[in-house]
Amino acid sequence: MAILSRRSMMRGFLAGGVGVSVGVPLLDCFLNENGTALAADGAKVPIRFGTYFWGLGLTHGPNRWVPTKTGMGYELPPEIASLKGLEKKVTVFSGLRIHLDGKPNVQHHTGHASILSGEAPPQGGQFQHASFDTTLADEIGGGARFRSLECAPYGSNISYSTRTGKSFSTPEVSPISLYTRIFGEGFQDPNADTWTPSKDAMLRKSVLSAVTDQRQALAAQVGAADKLRLDQYYTSVRQMEEQLSAELTKPAKCESCVVPASPEENPRSSEITRINHNSKLMADLMAMAVACNQTKIFNVCHSNAGSGAYLPGDSKIYHLHTHDEAVDPKLGYQPNSAKLASLHFQGYADFIRAFEAIKEGDGTLLDNCLIMGFSDTGNARTHATDNIPMFFAGKAGGRHKAGQHISAGGEPVTRVSLTAQQLVGLPIGEFGHGAMKTGKAFSELIA
Amino acid sequence: MKFTSKGTSAALVAALMLGTAGLMGCASDSASPAKTASAKAESGGEVVAMRRVNESQYRHAITDIFGDLEVKGRFEPEKRVHGLLAIGAAETSISALGFQQYYSMARMISTQVLDPKAIDKTVPCKPANAKAADDVCAEAFVRKYGTRMFRRPITDAEVAARVRLANSGATESGDFYNGLRLALTSMLTAPEFLFRYEVANTRGGKKEFDAYTRAARLSYLFWDTTPDEELLAAARDGSIMTQRGLQKQVDRLASSPRIEQGLRAMASDMMQFSMLEEKPSKNGDIYPKYSVAVMESAKEQTLRTMVDHLLTKNADYRDLLTSRDTFIDRKVAAVYQIPYTFAGEWTPYTFPEDSGRAGLQTQILFLAMFSHPGRSSPTLRGVGLNEIFLCEETPIPPADVDFSILNDVSNPLLKTVRQRLLAHATDETCAGCHNLTDPIGLSLEHFDGLGQPRKMENGELIDVTAEIDGVKFDGAGGLAKVMRENQRIPACFVKTIFAYGTGRHPTEAETEGYLKRQTKTFADSGYRYAPLMRRIAMSAEFYSIPAPEHEVEKTPQKVASKQGSVQGPGKQEARAGDDRPFKIGGL
Repeated sequence: MAILSRRSMMRGFLAGGVGVSVGVPLLDCFLNENGTALAADGAKVPIRFGTYFWGLGLTHGPNRWVPTKTGMGYELPPEIASLKGLEKKVTVFSGLRIHLDGKPNVQHHTGHASILSGEAPPQGGQFQHASFDTTLADEIGGGARFRSLECAPYGSNISYSTRTGKSFSTPEVSPISLYTRIFGEGFQDPNADTWTPSKDAMLRKSVLSAVTDQRQALAAQVGAADKLRLDQYYTSVRQMEEQLSAELTKPAKCESCVVPASPEENPRSSEITRINHNSKLMADLMAMAVACNQTKIFNVCHSNAGSGAYLPGDSKIYHLHTHDEAVDPKLGYQPNSAKLASLHFQGYADFIRAFEAIKEGDGTLLDNCLIMGFSDTGNARTHATDNIPMFFAGKAGGRHKAGQHISAGGEPVTRVSLTAQQLVGLPIGEFGHGAMKTGKAFSELIA
Repeated sequence: MKFTSKGTSAALVAALMLGTAGLMGCASDSASPAKTASAKAESGGEVVAMRRVNESQYRHAITDIFGDLEVKGRFEPEKRVHGLLAIGAAETSISALGFQQYYSMARMISTQVLDPKAIDKTVPCKPANAKAADDVCAEAFVRKYGTRMFRRPITDAEVAARVRLANSGATESGDFYNGLRLALTSMLTAPEFLFRYEVANTRGGKKEFDAYTRAARLSYLFWDTTPDEELLAAARDGSIMTQRGLQKQVDRLASSPRIEQGLRAMASDMMQFSMLEEKPSKNGDIYPKYSVAVMESAKEQTLRTMVDHLLTKNADYRDLLTSRDTFIDRKVAAVYQIPYTFAGEWTPYTFPEDSGRAGLQTQILFLAMFSHPGRSSPTLRGVGLNEIFLCEETPIPPADVDFSILNDVSNPLLKTVRQRLLAHATDETCAGCHNLTDPIGLSLEHFDGLGQPRKMENGELIDVTAEIDGVKFDGAGGLAKVMRENQRIPACFVKTIFAYGTGRHPTEAETEGYLKRQTKTFADSGYRYAPLMRRIAMSAEFYSIPAPEHEVEKTPQKVASKQGSVQGPGKQEARAGDDRPFKIGGL
């Protein structure tokens, strides 16, 4: 096939009705949907959203992680000391609870399932509803190459992003695979001087039209549960189409986008310093993916629920320590478990630091993001579903009055989930189900 | 528009050019029956289950349909439900990353199939002009593969979509074969290929699986692959729906050497191989002999042992728990501390009696998989044996256990893992489950977290005596004998095969009636594998569609409660693969 002329692209492609609309190149990658130019103060930059999960919460104990001071200007107890320098951009939530609504505490599952889907599940392995990041991906994730990206520095196929409650997004499990997904085949450097449309992206895209051709016939034959799974499949096809569309469009320049070099290949490991190393590499890649307008939504699982990470040379995993280790009578907590808790949390602090390191507009990339950090339990030793640690990092384009400590006094975690969705601009008034249904966002955080 | 299966018409060609759905006469003789069957499916077919094809099924299908091709990519992670990925496959879908992977594999495959050197074999016709669209030849190509790929006659609408795609692709690129490549890529990424649709028709007020679903069930159960031409023919002419026709196919499948492929797939699922990817990897500082390659060999060892025992020797299933016969290669030999003085990559090997090794549960795979990264775990091993060989799922431990007694290492009575574990038995809340898991695991403590032999731990001789249901035994050899005589072991195997083949958890009625009868016959015939497979495949229950269980009738998931000990393991609806190894308290 001869190189496609721009005109042939503009008039659409295949006789069979596989039309491709090609966007007129934008002046900069971060315009709002009306095409309004980016304001000098950066206010029109889209807000991006991410979740960052780590396993086993933080330690219950005297002054381990909950700041004594509430509101602005909180201090940093030892387990969250890695936030140093970022306090003004991070909000800390303490005292949050899961309201079980008569359901069992399904250990290492109830916590994050409730936070993301708004209801405690009756059993493991599934959520009652879609996770709310998928709603955000559909509402604000458009215009980027990927509707969302998932990664798991821990190296297992763990993600808590789900559209069906039963089928979860598959994450990238190594820095090199994340790199290849973002910057490998199909990536276009928005700041490249020349642009030639991908020669066969249209043909590749036409393949997908034939796939979707039978959608209605299939949907009519399946039951409700399978219909959901089929919808998930077609959403994935649609996301592939969006990726290919991006290849057919000249990317707008992104001033903050610098295409990174490929990270080194490193073997999967559950040793905590190696997980954190991977998490850092993935943070750099994910931050650049956001800066280069490859995605607006991302989900990270640093470690699995009930973390299997271990200290270098230690024969016991974190989870085993939380069960097995004696509480040091002088310290008032389990020393190895506490050490591991600090190291797990450091993954989050390092992750958001990668976003802070990229300049965007007058501020940093982090200023235009909201990155929610959370875990599966409160105090791991007792598998508590109260005092689940949660964090907001980033100013959400100035909407988030960041830098506060909110002492929630037993309020449901769904209030944080609702607040997050409102901060990134979703026009919803309530979130959650049953005892955790709430219409009360933390209004003190919303500018 | 309606298609005719015969004849060509200029009008149709014109219609195609205009991009409307039009089709040329079919080059294949199977067109008419195909139409009949698809018409039937359209009228009354109901998709009862959608089962996602897994990696080995995908690879087998590609090899069977297209020959040996290079297929590189990451397959979607699977989900274990009621102990089997085969059941979880009816719950999972395809994520964005997963689809991207299937898509890239599809391109890889279609490029190889349409390689200029391959087309003489792979394309059933020559286009009038290799630089232009040719819908007659394109349709012949799509039909040639469509039915094999979709496991039922490809419908005219499905063909039409691909012929359109092939034509427009050929026209745009000036290459007929490039058009075919696109058409094939689209079939390889279609849900009809990536999922197995189990379709039921209603006859006389009763739902029953259609002939193609029956053919696929047989094919995946015995060979772990897409149905071959003969099975499809037996579905097309309806003979597979008769007892005699079914018998003919079952005999053919069961007596083929390919039954080994089916056993390997079933055994990999049953033995929970996927745990190796789900669990944290071993701590290399503590187990320097650990590597991914060692674990691959460990899987192969377990599979070779099962194939040899169940198929080659046609031996008693229960002896898998006591047999010292196995196969080793250089890698596993190093872990077992056996000097590898044998020629060849794998060699038959019998563990000496004093090695303490007896049964699958003393092989590296099982011992290492049900351990922590840096130490063994009697509890996890007990859970593993209960799940795999007894079909007993362990309830979630209670959330609010006070561990302070167990954690108190200053207590002189709780110095060792054994002592601390046994303390569970005195705590009412924990005892219900830990009494079922820990004795099993403690008897295997002469094997460390990688399965290496050991007699001592921290300078102390390891005590491997244990007691289950009042029966005292000593070490792995004693455990093997106790396990072999447990009546629930063969019952569990029957249930596992049934659930694996049907992709669902058996109902209460099936468990109480059908499976009990099958287990009885299994016992009467000396616990032989292949005859069991035949009986299950010949039984009406294997193709039955149970009425959906009423919500309230569902057994609620039991959670060990603080109020009283759990009487026995409860049923657990589902478990997230990723969290799975950590559901049990950490010991």
